[in-house]
Amino acid sequence: MKVQYKAKRNLLETILQVEILQGLALTLRKLFSRPITRQYPDEKPPMYAGFRGQHALVRDPVTNDSKCIGCMRCATVCPSRCIHIKTHPGDSGQRLIDQYAIDVLRCVFCGYCVEVCPVGAITMTEVFEYASYDREAIYFDQEILLANWDRFLEQTGYDDTYVNPFWRPRGGLESRLPAAMRRDVPADWTIEGQFVGTKIRQPPACKLITDTEAAHD
Amino acid sequence: MTKTTILDVQVADGADDKYRLKMGPQHPATHGVLRVDLELDGETIDKCDPQVGYLHRGFEKLAEHRTYAQNIVLTDRLDYISAMANNVGYCVAVEKLLAIEVPPRAQFIRVMVCEMARISSHLLWLATHALDIGAMTVFLYCFREREVLLELFAELCGSRLTNTYTRLGGVRQDVTHSIMLKLQRFVDEFPGHIAEYETLIDTNRIWLKRTIGIGQISADKAVDLCLTGPSLRGSGVAYDIRQHIPYAAYNQMDFEVPVGETGDTYARYRCRMEEFRQSNTILRQCIERMPPGPILGKDAPDLIMPAKPGRKLEFDAVAGNALIKLIDNRDLYMAGDVYVATEVPKGELGFYFISDGMGRPYRMHIRSPSFLHIGALATIGQGVMIADLIAIIGTLDVVLGECDR
Repeated sequence: MKVQYKAKRNLLETILQVEILQGLALTLRKLFSRPITRQYPDEKPPMYAGFRGQHALVRDPVTNDSKCIGCMRCATVCPSRCIHIKTHPGDSGQRLIDQYAIDVLRCVFCGYCVEVCPVGAITMTEVFEYASYDREAIYFDQEILLANWDRFLEQTGYDDTYVNPFWRPRGGLESRLPAAMRRDVPADWTIEGQFVGTKIRQPPACKLITDTEAAHD
Repeated sequence: MTKTTILDVQVADGADDKYRLKMGPQHPATHGVLRVDLELDGETIDKCDPQVGYLHRGFEKLAEHRTYAQNIVLTDRLDYISAMANNVGYCVAVEKLLAIEVPPRAQFIRVMVCEMARISSHLLWLATHALDIGAMTVFLYCFREREVLLELFAELCGSRLTNTYTRLGGVRQDVTHSIMLKLQRFVDEFPGHIAEYETLIDTNRIWLKRTIGIGQISADKAVDLCLTGPSLRGSGVAYDIRQHIPYAAYNQMDFEVPVGETGDTYARYRCRMEEFRQSNTILRQCIERMPPGPILGKDAPDLIMPAKPGRKLEFDAVAGNALIKLIDNRDLYMAGDVYVATEVPKGELGFYFISDGMGRPYRMHIRSPSFLHIGALATIGQGVMIADLIAIIGTLDVVLGECDR
């Protein structure tokens, strides 16, 4: 496809500077339209569930401590290797956490740690305003991470039923998820309630083999 | 004319010698940290020598120490204004290497996010290109639409710029009704916005004077210089990987490839404006024909377990050091090499992998369009005026993050 050019301007248009006037008319029109600028510190941008912001360790309401089981999956999958975990074996073979720290200045906010956590212990909150003048304040240890979670719940008004798309990815198969992640989610997060186009091209006709038929074979 | 030599470098001290100017790396019109060493004769450029490497982060080497899944994060930071397209390009390449199948719904979502990235990247290109040449108003209007797309990305995957959206064998999150409704509204409104940009600059006589006949590249020369994408199509070569070697669901989409004739800055501008419209129609088709189904393939590898597709591992095997041993296992994947190119907004983004069967690439080479476009700058920039060089850098649409890697 050849690109189309607009017609060359004629002498009259050249003298009257029509194209400049058209541009100015557009600018003038916009002068009376509603401004779209967001006055940032006063007006916050909209936040959506699953925003990859400040890290937090979920506080378990039963034990009043972190849910972390020390499986090291987050520390292993982290592309920037910014999660530092130290554990020691407990009495019944479980791992007890000595240290759980995130060096946020090295973090790339990919969300992999939340994605692989089998118990939903770590999460990323919708908080993004936590810049600091010193490095120590952005090195999160376990206490700070738990406090981040408390503050997040307090600020946003979520309670323990809070679930985000990290733990329960939209459109993900429930069978692929660990038991702790099979939680109640909005209808269009599930594969049954997903968005489907209105004009789907029909696939070529072929005989569908149902499960019962396959079992007979 | 006399010349003195200091440390084996000839230093000009004659009156008729060339004036040497180092444009950049902090020059706002060089789109990042590009330095161009110029030899000037008056205001005409005698020799143009682009210097790159100010944004080098060593991605190709970093990739050798990370698993295939972890490297998706690196591709966000290549061309950081169309991160989605890089994600898709990387995943398409790795899926070919590891023979992973992608379900149709994920293919459609990939095409959708690719085209959203293309529109958002072209909007940024138009905004900055117009700003370089002197049209300030377009800049603000372009950012108005770009904000809509970035917010859709934030709703889709939780991040505006560094998306990390695709996964090997599919995508991370499904689309929701709310996202598709907003996208539908954007698709309906966008042609009107393109008309607005065109009202402002399309026939503006200053714009025409600054673009027509500037940086003219013939079709043969453009191919010789390895230009790709709209920069090549502006010269009249109808080469688009989306149509010639379709990936994802592009073979099911009806769209045309806009081709310019004259090969100057204005032709490339018209090509990109036409691509806005084509991307918009592809988005419309994606919304209308989005098939149902899963978004992740059955044999898609887990993020953390670099296992052979279909093979299950015990939970304990992946903790800590066991995983590192597992990644070093040389019969994990098939050994071999693969080159897969995809069409990103800038041109042809190719990934070349050599695999020795381990869980991470033995070598990853990135063929980035920006690097080759900057290479072409030395030839195109010869004999033009300084002010035109700014227009040429803008029209080649380079991003230094991708060039220096």
